[in-house]
Amino acid sequence: MISGVRQIVEGGRVQSRVLTAIMLRELHTRFGRHHLGYLWVFLEPMILGGSIALLHYVSGHDLPGGMDVAAFYIVGYTPYYLFRAILNRASTTVMANLPLFYHRQVSYTDVMLARHVLDCATVTIAIFIMIGVLTVLGGEFPHDPLKIVVGVAIMAAFCHGFAMLILAATIWGAENVERLVHPFTYLMIPFTGAFIMVWWLPTELQAYALLNPTIHMFEFIRDGQFGPVVPYHWDLGYMLAATAVVNVLGMLAMRAVRGRLATSH
Amino acid sequence: MLELRDVWKAYDTNGRERFVLRGISARFQQGDAIGILGRNGAGKSTLIRLVSGLETPTRGEIRRDMSVSWPLGFGGAVHPSITGADNCRFLARLYGKSPGMVESFVEEFAELGEHFRMPVYTYSTGMQGRLAFGLSMAIDFDFYLIDEAIAAGDARFTARCVAALEERRKRSALLLVSHSDQLLRAFCNSAAILHEGKLTFHEDLDQAIAAYHAL
Repeated sequence: MISGVRQIVEGGRVQSRVLTAIMLRELHTRFGRHHLGYLWVFLEPMILGGSIALLHYVSGHDLPGGMDVAAFYIVGYTPYYLFRAILNRASTTVMANLPLFYHRQVSYTDVMLARHVLDCATVTIAIFIMIGVLTVLGGEFPHDPLKIVVGVAIMAAFCHGFAMLILAATIWGAENVERLVHPFTYLMIPFTGAFIMVWWLPTELQAYALLNPTIHMFEFIRDGQFGPVVPYHWDLGYMLAATAVVNVLGMLAMRAVRGRLATSH
Repeated sequence: MLELRDVWKAYDTNGRERFVLRGISARFQQGDAIGILGRNGAGKSTLIRLVSGLETPTRGEIRRDMSVSWPLGFGGAVHPSITGADNCRFLARLYGKSPGMVESFVEEFAELGEHFRMPVYTYSTGMQGRLAFGLSMAIDFDFYLIDEAIAAGDARFTARCVAALEERRKRSALLLVSHSDQLLRAFCNSAAILHEGKLTFHEDLDQAIAAYHAL
């Protein structure tokens, strides 16, 4: 019993050591130590999220309910950037990190987890920097910032589960999964809920739209930004349940392919 | 101690199961320095990967009471796009060692000069080998798994490797995969031959080498 507990504690220690090490290394390899260095972590989503927001702001379309156009696209596009980044990169996890898997204590899921925690943190910070700039320019500070943080975290966790499924499929031999994921993330743009609100939809479509967990997540994040000026449709229980289900399935799938080689070295 | 009990390993090739290792049993302890001889494709790398824990046996079990190194070869375990020094700090963190100490040990041991602070992709293979070997010495394992390629550096560095391993001979074990009689004699005190999925141990090095050549 005691030795079992000790084993779990030791396992946890190794795991957190591994995750910290990978996160630091990931910062190095992704962004390097020179030039703008770590600034790029935030700049990348900011350039994309900011430009989309600017485009819509300049084109001058008003949004129903009088929501600020720039803020709407920032809290829509940036979490979508997270969604796309996590899913698109999933199948290359192994090949892109080969040296890591020469070390017994590093598992595929560790690498994914470390990257996704990093992605989640950088995207959250990027959102707040952009919203902060808007606030300074006369916009409104988020109504409930915690909702944005929690919403983005749930989004990252949901995508993490999804990413494990994609990687498991890739290892299992369906290399073509990668080719499907990219068009999928594009085609999903209208369906994720990143740029569409449920109350804009006809009533009979709303029930169908709410089957998609990411729609709840985007609504939740928007609620955090704009507060009760327009109606939102989200169910925290549903989001968490969907995230749990995808993660359990992802872990089972990764377990099922554990003995298989994703590489031949 | 590290023990293999009736270890089998199969890979799926074109939908068919092909056994590379067929029932290997072995026991290694501190002080052992064993060479593994085998032809190309005999399964030497597979054996090393199983012992290191990177792969699991299809059947049988492996018990480890020792800390086992990763399979030491060129590059592989180090990341090409970051510097040698950053690799040291990363692996130190991964293995729970002090990043500063590992970095300074490897800087001295590997003799990479200013390259130590340059990305690993700029290294020659010999330099990569020195970095990897230095790292494994800094992290200090009980059991070293070595691919012959790394040991076949220039004579001066090979001598350093032999000396470094000799120094920790009493407290650590060594498994070297090689085709070369010369390297085997430099590093090992006994040898085994991997042939047709089976491992045969020979107490005497000369006898092992003769048997290997007779295959």
